Amino acid sequence: MSRRNNVRGPTSALTEFLRESGITPTTIARRARTREVPQPVAGPSNTGQDDEDGGGEGGEENANGDDEQEYASDKLDESDEEEPAPKKRKLSKAAEAKLKAKEKAKQKAKAKGKGKAKGKGGDDDDFEDDEEDEEEDAYTALSKMWKDPSKPPVGNFEECAKCRKQFTVTKYTLAANPPPGYLCHACAKASGNDPFKKPAAPKRRKPAADKRNVVHFEERRFPSLSSLCIQVITKHIDDVEALGDIGGLNLDEISKSLARNRSLTAENAQLFYDVANTKLTLYDATNLLPSAFCTLASLNPNLTDLRLDFCGRMECSVMESWATGLPNLKRLELLGPFLVRIPAWLKFIKSHPQLEGFLITQSPRFDLECMQALANTCKALTELRLKEIGKIHDDFLIFVKKFKKLTYLELSYPGVPDALSEDALIDMMASVGKGLTHLDLSSNTQLTDGFLYEGIKPFATQLSTLILAKTPELTDAGVAEFFNTWGDAGTDNPPLTYLDMSRNHQLGSKALDALLQHSGNNLIYLNINGWKAASQDSLKSIAAACPELTCLDMGWCREVDDWIVKELMEQCDKMRELKVWGCQRITNNCPRRRNVAMQGVCTI
Amino acid sequence: MSANQGKPSASENDWIRITSNDGFSFLVPRKVAVVSGTLKNMLSTESNFAEAASNTCPMSERGVIVEKICEYLTYKALYEKAPPKEEIPDFLERLAPEISLELLMAADYYDVPPPLP
Repeated sequence: MSRRNNVRGPTSALTEFLRESGITPTTIARRARTREVPQPVAGPSNTGQDDEDGGGEGGEENANGDDEQEYASDKLDESDEEEPAPKKRKLSKAAEAKLKAKEKAKQKAKAKGKGKAKGKGGDDDDFEDDEEDEEEDAYTALSKMWKDPSKPPVGNFEECAKCRKQFTVTKYTLAANPPPGYLCHACAKASGNDPFKKPAAPKRRKPAADKRNVVHFEERRFPSLSSLCIQVITKHIDDVEALGDIGGLNLDEISKSLARNRSLTAENAQLFYDVANTKLTLYDATNLLPSAFCTLASLNPNLTDLRLDFCGRMECSVMESWATGLPNLKRLELLGPFLVRIPAWLKFIKSHPQLEGFLITQSPRFDLECMQALANTCKALTELRLKEIGKIHDDFLIFVKKFKKLTYLELSYPGVPDALSEDALIDMMASVGKGLTHLDLSSNTQLTDGFLYEGIKPFATQLSTLILAKTPELTDAGVAEFFNTWGDAGTDNPPLTYLDMSRNHQLGSKALDALLQHSGNNLIYLNINGWKAASQDSLKSIAAACPELTCLDMGWCREVDDWIVKELMEQCDKMRELKVWGCQRITNNCPRRRNVAMQGVCTI
Repeated sequence: MSANQGKPSASENDWIRITSNDGFSFLVPRKVAVVSGTLKNMLSTESNFAEAASNTCPMSERGVIVEKICEYLTYKALYEKAPPKEEIPDFLERLAPEISLELLMAADYYDVPPPLP
């Protein structure tokens, strides 16, 4: 390849690299021509065309063309970056076409007929450029003639393929069918083609993306007003002013609303954070990551009371940061801290000797060592909940005995239902029973009537809440006997206000009569779910015996009917909630009352 | 319970009056009001509530909140059954952040929209 001079403009790294590898516009053009394969026309990419053009024209020893190519290949990089808006692209194309036209005019002066010799690759481009060319000036129009290699230049003499007469090629000259050759005007008209017909507008290619017809089966979900509000709140979370007067509203209610929609996130949780906060409750912390829990500690350093439900993502690092970050914490209530391991528990417990409430539910890792540390460190503990703890067993109770100030004790739903033996529990009650107001030993299947006599009756003096759900060994006669004799000499426990003995299928009328006799006057909450044998008369007497009752669960008590519900509605003025799941005798006509939520009425 | 006003109130085309606690009242078609689960229960003819008899639901919210709730109920009633191709305007831009917290609690209480069965 010859050059008039060796001056070269700046080139891109790619061009430089290609040149060093022996790939130049010339070689590309040669290859394109020898291959004789039409250029694939899929992409609307500019760059390919530029390249091709440069190649097509700079083909034979044409220094001018080479310069052009360099210019074009520089553009190659640019167009890559600014993946062009359609308008821009058009412009560059037009400019390019003009350049081409100029060059062709020169070529024409030099060598006629060169246009004809142009390679196939050039053709494709021309086809693509057609539309643009139409809008261009006469200067470009000249080049149009050159671009069609199948047609001789206008003004040339040609011999008609049919009648062999010589004729002058015009703009309207048609090619013979079958080729080769051209027809004179007369023959073209005779063959049925209208030479003056405008060429059909070339089909505009659609971008590939538009051609795809994607069917969406996704159902459109209508956003609820709550979720929209939450979006707005989350968006403006940093702008406290915009959210209006938060102080006037009940933050706890907002917290509940966010939890109900499971949309509490690290961002909008900040709404509830404050340096002055001493109490914080998040009802659904599912979406908070460990880092968010650490943020919680640093933004609320003065917390004394912390409750987090569904805090499943909390892990060791969180507990460790709380050990120092929440120095004043007195009460901790967690639901689901699965991932916290023993060392983290130990570190936290040892850093909080002032702890008064430790309530955790669902931890498979909380073990004897942690329990021991808790007993030895937090001697002032008044509330203890170890619910659904996988590793709980009798030895834990030795340490529970050490808490002399306990008022609230829950050791329910142990990982193994019979993990806690009756004797050990009685032994524990002997130590802590005196102060307890709340006792929950649900789902300890080893409990029998004996625990009531030996564990509760002699030791409990202030018990107001008793929960013994799912303790199937309890018998009707035994429980009846217990309530009948509770309050005799030597036992001075006030009547209970909250009693849950649900899912004890052996219990029935006798037990119900006895407990109503004992605690009926004070009962606020009563759960006798699953007392299938309770008789209609006993159930009916609940209404008269419990004037304070606000919540009653009579699910799966077979004898419950509309009349019993009627008695309750009429006599229990404070009733707010009544659950009657599985009570088949209740009909749709059962009496209802305003402000009483009745759940579970299922009639066919 | 106030006396029933002669005719049963179950017709589909009647209007419901929703009042706010600061003296505004809004009239919406019944089919719009029942988009809210709470209002639906209030207006249920089975319940014998005063609301059902008088077709009036007092909301203990400020007028601006009640207005926005009515607006959403109408929006929802209008577009819920819209064919998939139809363009649904975004309600989000109609929510002012100033009222969003109050509105959230109200929306929660009035069960807008009710949970899926």
